[in-house]
Amino acid sequence: MGSLLTTTLEAISLLFSGDAELWSIIGISFRISTTAILIAMIPAILLGFTLAYANFPGRRIFISIFNSLLAVPAVVVGLTLYIVLSRQGPLGEWKLLFSQTAMVLGQIALSFPILVAMSHTAFQSAEIRAWDTARTLAKNPLSAFFIIMREVRFGLFGALLAAYGRIIAEVGASMMLGGNILNSTRNIPTAIAMETSKGEFAQGIALGIILVSMAFFLTMSLQYMQGRGKISND
Amino acid sequence: MTKMLTNKPFMHIQFSHINKSYCKKRCGFFIKKSQAKVIFNDANIVLKGGQCVLLTGSNGSGKSTLLRIIAGILKPDCATITTGSKSLSWKKANKLIRQQVMYLYQEPYMFDGSVTRNLEYALNGKKFSSHSVNQITRALKWANLEHRADTSAKCLSGGERQRVALAQAWLKQPSVLLLDEPTANMDKASRQATEALLLKFKERGTALLIASHDVKHFHQTMDKQLLLENGHIFEIGDKTNNISLFPHSSKRQA
Ligand SMILES: Nc1ncnc2c1ncn2[C@@H]1O[C@H](COP(=O)(O)OP(=O)(O)O)[C@@H](O)[C@H]1O
Ligand SMILES: [Mg+2]
Repeated sequence: MGSLLTTTLEAISLLFSGDAELWSIIGISFRISTTAILIAMIPAILLGFTLAYANFPGRRIFISIFNSLLAVPAVVVGLTLYIVLSRQGPLGEWKLLFSQTAMVLGQIALSFPILVAMSHTAFQSAEIRAWDTARTLAKNPLSAFFIIMREVRFGLFGALLAAYGRIIAEVGASMMLGGNILNSTRNIPTAIAMETSKGEFAQGIALGIILVSMAFFLTMSLQYMQGRGKISND
Repeated sequence: MTKMLTNKPFMHIQFSHINKSYCKKRCGFFIKKSQAKVIFNDANIVLKGGQCVLLTGSNGSGKSTLLRIIAGILKPDCATITTGSKSLSWKKANKLIRQQVMYLYQEPYMFDGSVTRNLEYALNGKKFSSHSVNQITRALKWANLEHRADTSAKCLSGGERQRVALAQAWLKQPSVLLLDEPTANMDKASRQATEALLLKFKERGTALLIASHDVKHFHQTMDKQLLLENGHIFEIGDKTNNISLFPHSSKRQA
């Protein structure tokens, strides 16, 4: 176990020495996941909002569908998209498999149900009275929507963080759809999996440090914001 | 503010043939006729600018339901809205009534943030001009909430919340203001403060419709008293003869 310490030190020096390969992997990871969240965010929040306040037939069924989609394993999402994008698949002509675009698509599919389910919960935490009041005060439905977004902002931040946390650390779908190609589709989780299987722990640990510190940072900033919200309520 | 309003013609709006029933089972695909509970059966109501109408009726008679239909929040089975020379269905008139009619809940909802921020929401996002800052200051003063300007609105008492909601309405300047049990659970001082503010709306030319079972609390404000019973609206008194009708209405409430 003595080697664990040396490997960790090696990992830290790798991070601080600005190892080009390592930082390219980190950059790819954040770029892909941020793109996916930014694309999924707007339709998912609108859908969560609609499911919370609109009254249409089949609303409850929709809510259960999105809640059950949360439980679908990432590999299954990866497999489904793989079949769709593979050469014989319906979208095979687009030649997207093993590209960053395919990974973005996979991460959108993974984050969408979380974003919908959690933003639905967030909107529901403000009662229907809040929406009706916003509607009577604001000049049009869009500005009423922004008033409600502000009202439930902590719930929405929580949804974004949970979704980001899931997709940036996920191996299965990234591996299947991206193919772990260096400088193109190799991201943090696929790199960790590969380096570990080769027995090279230093890079894996360095990347792990990045993921864990990011998770800490995001959670802490959310809690900080929520804390400030509480204080202003006193 | 009052000067601005004199340009606006006083509203005269009629809601006729209001029909509404609630379905007992909300999500059932096959709702039997017998399961639907009829709340309104061809009811009519007229609202005029500067006039205060008091809507009475026992609990569960449909007062809140009527107010929500008039405010455009709740869809009736059918209703015709006549204003000026135009006659429209509820759905067609929805945009118009959403602009002209404002509905205040019994317990007004306060958004997260200061009282000032809650008032800003009533100004349609024009909050950054110095004119709106002025308007908000005046509205705070008008509702006697100056000392509460920076307090979190969620921490206010019931009476103060009511006054914030009334100040929002004052800024928003609707033609019709609907109030659902505005003085329920209030002490005498808060009730009097609310009534004083309601009188100012009347002076401004707003049409007021108040749902309440405390007839005696709106003695000074009210011009006309309506009774809601079995899905119909009856006119049971006006300012001149309402006293003789008190026993009548209290009997029905019992
Ligand atoms: N959303 C709803 N679904 C089904 N029934 C309702 C609903 N809202 C109100 N009701 C029923 O309609 C009747 C009238 O309610 P309401 O308008 O709140 O009366 P009031 O305000 O005069 O007390 C009551 O019997 C109530 O149970
Ligand atoms: Mg009621």
